[in-house]
Amino acid sequence: MTRLTSQSEQQPPRQGLILLQLLVLGLFCLFALRLWYLQIHRGEDFALKARENQLRQEAIFAPRGLIRDRDGELLAVNEPAYALGLVREDCRDIAGTLVQVSQWTGVPLETLRETYAKRRLRVKPFEPLILIPDLTFEQMTVFEANKLDWPGLEIRIHPRRKYIHGELMAHVLGYVAEANEAEMKKIPELALGDDVGKLGLELMLEERLRGDKGLMQYEVDVNGRRLDARILQQPRAGYEAVLSIDLGLQSLIMDWLKDEAGSVVVMDADTGHLLALVSSPSFDSNSFTAGLSPEQWAQLRDNPKHPMQNRPIQSAYPPGSVFKQVVAGAGLANDMLDPEETVNCTGAMKLGNHVFRCWRWRYGGHGKTDLEKALTESCDVYFYKLGKRLGVDRISEYAKACGFGERTGIMLPHERSGIIPTREWKRRTRGERWQGGDDLNLSIGQGFTLVTPLQVARFVASVINGGRLLKPELLKDRKATVQRMLPSKPQDLQLLREGYINTVDAPRGTARRLRTKGVVVGGKTGTAQVVRLTDELRDLEDDEIPYKYRDHAWMAAFAEKGERKYAIVAMIEHGLHGSSGAGPVVKAAIEYLFNGKILKKKE
Amino acid sequence: MAVDRRLIFHINWQLIGLTCILFLAGVLNLYSASGYRLEDGMSVSPYYQKQLVWGLMGMVGMLFFMLPNYRHLKTMAWPLFWFTCLLLIAVFFAGKTIYGAKRWLDLGFMNFQPSELAKISMLIVGARILSKEKEPLNFTRLAYVVGVGLIPAAMVIRQPDLGSGLSILLILGGMILYRGVTGRVFKTMLVAIPALLPLSWFFLHDYQKQRILTFLDPAKDPLGSGYHILQSQIAIGSGQFWGKGFLEGTQSQLRFLPEKHTDFAIAVFGEEWGFAGTMILLFLFCYFLYQMVVIARDAKDLFGSYLAAGVFFYFFWQILINMGMVLGLMPVVGIPLPFVSYGGSATLVNFCLIGMVLNVSMRRFLFK
Repeated sequence: MTRLTSQSEQQPPRQGLILLQLLVLGLFCLFALRLWYLQIHRGEDFALKARENQLRQEAIFAPRGLIRDRDGELLAVNEPAYALGLVREDCRDIAGTLVQVSQWTGVPLETLRETYAKRRLRVKPFEPLILIPDLTFEQMTVFEANKLDWPGLEIRIHPRRKYIHGELMAHVLGYVAEANEAEMKKIPELALGDDVGKLGLELMLEERLRGDKGLMQYEVDVNGRRLDARILQQPRAGYEAVLSIDLGLQSLIMDWLKDEAGSVVVMDADTGHLLALVSSPSFDSNSFTAGLSPEQWAQLRDNPKHPMQNRPIQSAYPPGSVFKQVVAGAGLANDMLDPEETVNCTGAMKLGNHVFRCWRWRYGGHGKTDLEKALTESCDVYFYKLGKRLGVDRISEYAKACGFGERTGIMLPHERSGIIPTREWKRRTRGERWQGGDDLNLSIGQGFTLVTPLQVARFVASVINGGRLLKPELLKDRKATVQRMLPSKPQDLQLLREGYINTVDAPRGTARRLRTKGVVVGGKTGTAQVVRLTDELRDLEDDEIPYKYRDHAWMAAFAEKGERKYAIVAMIEHGLHGSSGAGPVVKAAIEYLFNGKILKKKE
Repeated sequence: MAVDRRLIFHINWQLIGLTCILFLAGVLNLYSASGYRLEDGMSVSPYYQKQLVWGLMGMVGMLFFMLPNYRHLKTMAWPLFWFTCLLLIAVFFAGKTIYGAKRWLDLGFMNFQPSELAKISMLIVGARILSKEKEPLNFTRLAYVVGVGLIPAAMVIRQPDLGSGLSILLILGGMILYRGVTGRVFKTMLVAIPALLPLSWFFLHDYQKQRILTFLDPAKDPLGSGYHILQSQIAIGSGQFWGKGFLEGTQSQLRFLPEKHTDFAIAVFGEEWGFAGTMILLFLFCYFLYQMVVIARDAKDLFGSYLAAGVFFYFFWQILINMGMVLGLMPVVGIPLPFVSYGGSATLVNFCLIGMVLNVSMRRFLFK
């Protein structure tokens, strides 16, 4: 008995042994099932995936659409750029390689490490991760000489945008630069390192300019060498854009504006095509494509003349006397203005206990003035009286019908709408009631009113094309789009048009310098106050007034000969007087357009 | 010392044979897993040669563990256990820090990892304690046994080395189940362990949580942490029935498969030898485990039986966890597959433990 017990004590636990055997059986069944599932049931799926792994596909860059001016002159092209990529799988010592790359290129190691860390999640281990998008020739030479010692590094050729007239066309074309996270999310076709339009037409036409990437498939051997490359899909080049811009005119105007801040718009009055759209000062589109250094960016940002501002569409100014045609139009349209009626201008007008002066108040005013004289000599008192009679409601309604206070719809980003004030607007933004004095300011284009040069050009064009308010177009193949008709009778428009012409032709007209033989030219000058001038400033000579207090100079003009009609608007910031400040560049544009002459600015 | 002829006669030759087959299959697979590097002319150490050297050293270790009667281990059990604990404390104060973990002791000529030793001494002490338990374990006895196990396990987890710490507890747990527990203890554990498991989430490191999340949905991040899981399944699955042939695996040869000579080595095997190959390998592993069950059954005494059961669990858990991970049934845990994954000290320990069970098997008919 004792022996039996002791023997049973020496016996291994029976249940334990069964447990172990069950565990072995369970292990076998579990993995046998799983292996059957993976290798037999889904084997073909996985075989396909393995094959896909082995066959690598690579996108072929599609050339971005070229951009030309109206005569076919090239403005934006593509040229090869050399990028330095790192294939993680082939690189033995990534940290060391980064240090070496930093030494070769002078790019700070920190920046390289950041680029690497940011991109490694998006780039497969066997694909090149772009460290430096743009190698100089010297850097390439150094790299080529040493590449055998640094496996994993390779040079990739990719197209880069080049702007032939980088500074001249910057505000029209904008620029492309490497796509960021948000853009890649929005546009699935973009891959890491691709360029995308960021500003100007490059941004607005992005989808059409981009083209379709091609696809190349190749097999790789054990060492990652490519075998059997095959093109699955040919790349398709992007749309080639031909602009309505006349490069010669654009560059002539740019020369005239060289040291000024301002803008010039030249618009075909029949079609809305823009022949020139100049904003000065400008920047160089190419500096963004290659990647702007922080210093370059700071320089652009801190420049007091704001080169990044696209003035003709993004800067809204008080229109000054340029607005008088609008107010006259409003009077005629409302049948509240008799062109024959005269007003006696004594140089000022009193409203309450405030005196509103005419610009000729020093000389005792304009005397007896009818509409024709008021427009030609830009009499303020005449318009004060007209404005008082019309009131803000009628003037604003008409101004809005003429396209002021709204975006023109030009194919460029970040356009501003300007301001046409109304009673409601003043209450909402200033918390004040509309006053009689506001009517008077409004009637001579001062006060709250703000317009962009492009809006003015569009208005002038509509006055001479039969009242068709056109959408400004930058592409040559676009047909004219009439956005609406001015609410004026043809004979009223004729009166306004004559007002422009007389301003150029009449002996006392303010725009006489525009007269051009054989061309019908009309124009309206404008001087927009930047600040309410104190008497001491008023008494200073022009060149003694500090730059930032000087008045803005406007010239809203048109020129026509036969079928050709152009609206030409110049706006020179702090240009002092409409005629002398903004007139000469308009005159140069007219000479270029009709006589093919290049007038150089006198130094 | 003349070796008793009966000893040689009673050696479990099947286990020796299985061990050798598994080891050689592993070396062959390693040759494939690291072969491309050699063709490329790049000077990366040829793993299969190193593995062969470690295997030869392992066989010497195996012999060393076979020769002296294993009953000496019974007397050495506790001293060895406390010695191990001392080493773990030493690691805590004077250990070498590699990759943020303090796991190594610098012996001058090599780095030594006391947590490996802890697994072995746990196994021996476990066998000694459990072989003296006359009844299935009740709560008190269970608490005592688990308490002993927690001493080294906690210290290893603190290093931190969660994998090894849990291995120690799993080996001990397996041996406890082999011994048997009372019905009440069993029922309580059946309820309590699944209930407490979710709590452990809060003790995991972020990267460990990430691995579990990735396991649940590997497609979410196919280039990041899900990469291993997806690529290893593609490798194995694409082997289909007959495999792509030795050295022909595209997944491994083209380097899509990560960690292919260590933790994911069986994926290379599956790709090149197919379902036919993996089934044979799986069968060999199971038969290998079964032989240890046989040794546990036929052991002369309970201590020997528990030793064999301990070694059984030492291998069982590794096979279960590694294959489970590579086949996508478990989160990624860095545990190698015995004999197939490359690893010097692991190979050495594996052979020594085989030596220990062989020792039990060859002395099954000897009386004290």
